[in-house]
Amino acid sequence: MKHTLIHLNTSPYANLACKEGLDLALVLATFEQAVDLCISGAALALLTDNQQPTAEHGKNLHKLLAGLEFYDIENLYIEKANTWLKDSNIWPGAKPLEETEWQALFSQYQQVFRF
Amino acid sequence: MQYTLLITGSPYQTKACHSGLRFIKAALSKYPDSIKGVFFYEDAVLIGSQIAQPPRDEINLMKAWQDIAQQHNVPLYLCIAAAVRRGIINDTESRRYELEQHTLAEHFQLEGLGTLVDLMNTTNKIIQFR
Repeated sequence: MKHTLIHLNTSPYANLACKEGLDLALVLATFEQAVDLCISGAALALLTDNQQPTAEHGKNLHKLLAGLEFYDIENLYIEKANTWLKDSNIWPGAKPLEETEWQALFSQYQQVFRF
Repeated sequence: MQYTLLITGSPYQTKACHSGLRFIKAALSKYPDSIKGVFFYEDAVLIGSQIAQPPRDEINLMKAWQDIAQQHNVPLYLCIAAAVRRGIINDTESRRYELEQHTLAEHFQLEGLGTLVDLMNTTNKIIQFR
């Protein structure tokens, strides 16, 4: 079985990329494929608490994070260097990586898809 | 070695569909059986619209992909959820949504993401164009 990394790098409110990347992750997991997530750039906004998007903003993707464990998606990585992400106001399931760990992450998977 | 292409970039905002086309032409010219399938996701599904009319002095990208499918028997899949939300609808979906028309171009087919998972597991490499 191939181990897949889905890398989200686009704001959840800019377009559908974040949503469709998460959809792919959930489908992979549904088909019992090993899949991890990593988040960088504008997609980090997905993690912040207290989001109340309206219909015009799109679906509340933050809520979806709580359900990842039910799909056996256990790893969602971020880079520790994102100092603006205070532990208290982001989704607690994110796993911060040191810079070297983050850089090594992408070569640990058979396939990486970016959204 | 067999490849699957995953194309996610819009045919209008990016060169993903153009670059994918160049890649597949090069691959097929050297190794005729090197491509198992092409899966279009996100805005790339817009490539499958039969009603888009590009200016006559520009490449007809949809037709170029159709030619590949026809000449080399390479299946062109569009993610059904991504396509339907963008108005790319086949006859079956048209009836399901009680519409009077369908917009999916010939030689493209709507499939779920499960088809992409199957392609991942049956080809050596997936290459994303975005």
